[in-house]
Amino acid sequence: MTDDPAVGPGAAPPPIADYGLLGDTRTAALVSSTGAIDWMCAPRFDGAPLFGRLVGGPEAGTYRIGPARPAEVVERRYRQHTTTLRTTWVVGDRRLTLTEGMVAEVAGRLLPSTLLVRRLSAEGGPIEAVVDFDPRLGTNHRAPRVRRRRSLLVCEWGALAVSLACAPHLNVEPGRSTVLTVAPERPLTVVLTVAHREPLIDVEPAVAWELLRADEAHWRAWIAEVDPELPFREAVTRSLLTLRLLTYSPSHAPVAAPSTSLPEQPGGVRNWDYRYVWPRDASIGVAAFLGVGKPDQARGFLAWLLRASRLQRPRLPALFTLDGLRVPAERQLDGWPGYAGSTPVRIGNGAADQHQLDGYGWVVDAVWVYVQAGHHLDSETWRAVRGFADVVTRRWREPDAGIWELRQPSHQVHSKLMGWLALDRALRIAETHPLAARRRRRWQDARQAIASEVRTNGFDPERSSYVRGYGSTELDAALLVLPLLGIEDADSPRVGGTIAAIRAELGAGGPLLYRYPPGHDGLPGSEAAFLPCSFWLAQALAGTGRRAEAIELFRLLLDRASPLGLYAEEMDPVTGAHLGNYPQTLTHATLVQAALAIRSAGSARSGEVG
Amino acid sequence: MSWRSVAPAEMDWAGWALFGVVATAALTAAMITAQLAGLTRVDLPLILGTMVTEDPDRARVAGFGIHLLAGQGFALGYAAMFALLGRATWWLGALIGVLHVGVALTVLLPLLPGVHPRMASARAGPSSTAVLEPPGLLALNYGVQTPVITGVVHVFYGAILGLLLQAR
Repeated sequence: MTDDPAVGPGAAPPPIADYGLLGDTRTAALVSSTGAIDWMCAPRFDGAPLFGRLVGGPEAGTYRIGPARPAEVVERRYRQHTTTLRTTWVVGDRRLTLTEGMVAEVAGRLLPSTLLVRRLSAEGGPIEAVVDFDPRLGTNHRAPRVRRRRSLLVCEWGALAVSLACAPHLNVEPGRSTVLTVAPERPLTVVLTVAHREPLIDVEPAVAWELLRADEAHWRAWIAEVDPELPFREAVTRSLLTLRLLTYSPSHAPVAAPSTSLPEQPGGVRNWDYRYVWPRDASIGVAAFLGVGKPDQARGFLAWLLRASRLQRPRLPALFTLDGLRVPAERQLDGWPGYAGSTPVRIGNGAADQHQLDGYGWVVDAVWVYVQAGHHLDSETWRAVRGFADVVTRRWREPDAGIWELRQPSHQVHSKLMGWLALDRALRIAETHPLAARRRRRWQDARQAIASEVRTNGFDPERSSYVRGYGSTELDAALLVLPLLGIEDADSPRVGGTIAAIRAELGAGGPLLYRYPPGHDGLPGSEAAFLPCSFWLAQALAGTGRRAEAIELFRLLLDRASPLGLYAEEMDPVTGAHLGNYPQTLTHATLVQAALAIRSAGSARSGEVG
Repeated sequence: MSWRSVAPAEMDWAGWALFGVVATAALTAAMITAQLAGLTRVDLPLILGTMVTEDPDRARVAGFGIHLLAGQGFALGYAAMFALLGRATWWLGALIGVLHVGVALTVLLPLLPGVHPRMASARAGPSSTAVLEPPGLLALNYGVQTPVITGVVHVFYGAILGLLLQAR
């Protein structure tokens, strides 16, 4: 491995926001500004880590291409409206640029399902570079069986194999640094292909480079279809591209994040596996994609939701695997040091068994949004919605784990409100779809009962605010969705009071909010501000006629993005460090929704936004 | 009677025409029951029907028709085997059912993404319009119990044919 102390085995990990996302809509890689891919699973998001140094330490493998000596990063950005990342370092008067990406569109051609292309080019004179290729598979960091086929390096672990091809030829040895000189006229192209339960498919580096360029054209065309009048269009399109990269194309399942166990508090225990799919994220994605003029993606998310939920219908599990199956039991990886010493590192997710009443609200509301947009609801979808509404009617009085997945269930006001939303939207859909009169009455009665109980037990008249739970004096930033529901008029004192109280009591400084009083979730330690709540606040402000405030808040939040326009789940209010799994589907989806709310709140004057 | 002493018999054409439909309908009903019971996500009428139409409701009708036709085709194979072996019993039908489902799960279903216009493959990318997930080997993508359910109903299908078809 390299002896560069900035990137060597003993180095402190780069900040989470230093990582860029590469993806092909089947798996993803996180690459730091040193050019190191420190996280990538194969053959898909929830597969075994192939490069796992991010949370597994040096033994878990990495794949770095970059300058051989410490060098300053002078430019790092995605090529406009694409998923190709360019990083430029400067050494003296010479520049070294790494251009890298994964080929997403390989359907219908004899190409590997994962094809990662990285190209190093020099300007101003020859420059020394290094290739560290050290793949280690799975929880045991298994070293591969290595063989060479012609100029190809092949690493195998039974059903999984990867190949590395370089042009010009380079004799790469897994686990050892290969130093080379990149001349201005002679860029180095390195191609990694992955094969799972199928033969490896060779792709010449020159061909792979052309495929990547063609993929860029695909992405640009995809972005060109997005509403040109969207406020903050550049930030929104980066979020859309991120959402799309985090969507598993074979099933249209949006993964919550490509990583596991990036900590919500450095050194803390709030480290979870997010490589699964939450119906809530998929539902927000439906509305986000519909709003920007991408009905195909919205339809894909909805179709996945309905397919995935079929096995356990009418119960809606809290999360699924990419195939809609049961999420593996949560376990801790012994010996994994975690990111910045944050242990345990977990795989699987114990939240899978939780009852989360709010999930029904998100899903039925997504279907309602889809119907409102003029799309046809087939009988199966309507049957599923009826089943979900029946479950809410039956179970809304029970305590649940709610949106924050508390390990001790309780009567949470947000959950009850979302239960109300499920019934309300189901009844609205029923105005144009067949529904037995008795069932309709049951839903109406339950909707009325929820509204009345929440107003009695979930509202603090002294503060004029809804509260976190029955009998609680704490607040919950998830209640910021209140103006969107319709259970109260958007301009009512109850809504205004709740927004004001949340800003005052859960404000973490600047545009940031805690989701609830930090650390009040039954786990040791504390946590940072929760970014989706800030975007919900922007959405709530826009929805209650305070558009200028919403725009100001949105701008402040955009300033907090990672240098590449990405967001984690949480942010340290003091240092501004991104925390938690990264990048996060929920944060990016709420960013898009906030922008859409700002658009809906009034016609943007030229120069006012964007 | 030993296997060698069994002489080839005539095909039971009338039995094939009638009982092929009966066995296929029973198989389809059993699969739909398993699906509704939450044991599997496989939906044969939908999978087959979306080869010809995008609308799920119409697809199920078309898919049921396609499945009946395919079932008749397979029943023809069963009848031919019974005629060749010179006997037709429920257990012989069940044995052929094991062979049938083995080929279906390991060969036919994994090949489906190659011919199905609305089924994704592992290579599906952002431009792919396919929305059905591929069954994968042993159709495991549709739930871990899918191979067992599929196996049981096909053995059931074979046993029905073995019971009802004649080998004269």
